[in-house]
Amino acid sequence: MQAKSYGITDVGLKRDGNEDSFSVQDSLGLYVVADGMGGHLAGEIASNISVEIINKVFKKWVEKDASEEEVFGEPDVSLSRKGNYILGGIRLANRVIYELALEKKEYHGMGTTIVVLLVTPSMIIAANVGDSRIYLVRDGEIERLSKDHSIVAEQVEMGIMTEEEAENSPLKHVLTRNLGSSEEVTPEIFEIEPANNDCFILCSDGLTDLVNDKELLEIADNETEPEAICKDLIDLVLKRGAHDNATIISVLLTDIQRPKSGIFNKIGFLVEDVIIRLRKFVKKIIQ
Amino acid sequence: MARLVLMFNKQVVKEYPLMKESVTVGRNEENTIQINNLAVSGYHARIDAAGNDYILTDLQSTNGTFINDKRVVSQKLSHGDNIIVGKHVILFVGAGAEAADAKSSAQKSDLDKTMMLDTAKQKELLSKQKDSGQASETTAKIGVISFIEGADNLGEVELKKKLTKIGKADTSEIQLSGLFMPATAATISRRPSGYVITTMGGKIKVNGEVIKDSVALKDFDTIEVGKVKFQFYQKETSEKQG
Repeated sequence: MQAKSYGITDVGLKRDGNEDSFSVQDSLGLYVVADGMGGHLAGEIASNISVEIINKVFKKWVEKDASEEEVFGEPDVSLSRKGNYILGGIRLANRVIYELALEKKEYHGMGTTIVVLLVTPSMIIAANVGDSRIYLVRDGEIERLSKDHSIVAEQVEMGIMTEEEAENSPLKHVLTRNLGSSEEVTPEIFEIEPANNDCFILCSDGLTDLVNDKELLEIADNETEPEAICKDLIDLVLKRGAHDNATIISVLLTDIQRPKSGIFNKIGFLVEDVIIRLRKFVKKIIQ
Repeated sequence: MARLVLMFNKQVVKEYPLMKESVTVGRNEENTIQINNLAVSGYHARIDAAGNDYILTDLQSTNGTFINDKRVVSQKLSHGDNIIVGKHVILFVGAGAEAADAKSSAQKSDLDKTMMLDTAKQKELLSKQKDSGQASETTAKIGVISFIEGADNLGEVELKKKLTKIGKADTSEIQLSGLFMPATAATISRRPSGYVITTMGGKIKVNGEVIKDSVALKDFDTIEVGKVKFQFYQKETSEKQG
């Protein structure tokens, strides 16, 4: 598997500072975007800290092949081991920001959204808290691998509001979950299988406020390089007024081997079958 | 659609689309907008649709109803009006108003910034709604596969993992045997949109048709992996799904 990526952030045309943070780590296959909130520099600090913590602890846990029990908080049995590393990292970042916000008056009310993508040859893990998003473009279709934690998104899910009404609601930016506002946080985490030419887009709402899913798909389909995808999208955001900071990471996966069914594979399965039976047989004998 | 936004201490508590002809506000549970606060009367105020407009009427409440700090008996609502009921504020957002004032309104620019809902308040309100049965609770569901043919003793298997591997390998969550069964024939993943089955090299049929890559699973779809046949459905679960 090969992962090619590019990340970009832009302060936009209306804001004085950039409260977004991001990280791109091809060697780990780890990509993170965070959109901070809170007065003065608090938003910037919250997003920065969370990106740093998640990167640091993930690397540490991978290096020592930590068990699920060693990571921060109760393990989630529905997730893989690496899924639990991501979960632990997000929980830890939340706790640190939460305690900082309690401790210092100038940090009071600070928080951040987070999206984390991990790509491995056998699994893709996507996690989020808040309204930053992860998209997957595969076979000419676009799919969200994140769930917005906002009032309007929850009302859409409950069937009280349509997608269109949500899009135009003045409450679009009111979050129901973020990192930093409570002691515990529950992120959404999804695990899927990778496929060749999978293209991922991670972003803050500075992008999705101004560019819809269909337009995202068009750009991702027209461009072949992650850098070009990011730059096209940022150009579009700036052209449309860029009222907020916008951050975009694009990741493209190639060289993923997925066996096709054919005669050679069938022979392969047959050999595998013999090996598995043999192994079971040997196990029995040993016992 | 026009809507009312209930706020407390400058924090948004809930949004109510104005879907009905008439909406009532008060402490009593029967109100559309129930506010459990002693400063609010049992039936405090009513908002009625009148053509394209909405009219607010105070229902002779003890503490009165105010629009933008002025006590009113009955008044037509304008976009951006703050209706004050006790300590709560209800913001009136007119139909189609969002687009019109996107450029100029100060109201909008305030809400333009991402902010966090007051969680303590939200939780309190949600628990109250549950008690009064107002909230349409979303029940958690879990996917189940039920074996029909070709796999002995498997019966029903709950898809407890976010990603379930089906195949011959020891690491498969659902281990199937068979000479030509691949190590991983297919995976079923739980995604934001629901469950999806993806072929990983095995010949997979969904409702009799061979799938090329991935398909979304619907309740009672029949899936064939080699000679093994099973059905997918979702059932309600007490466990919370993330």
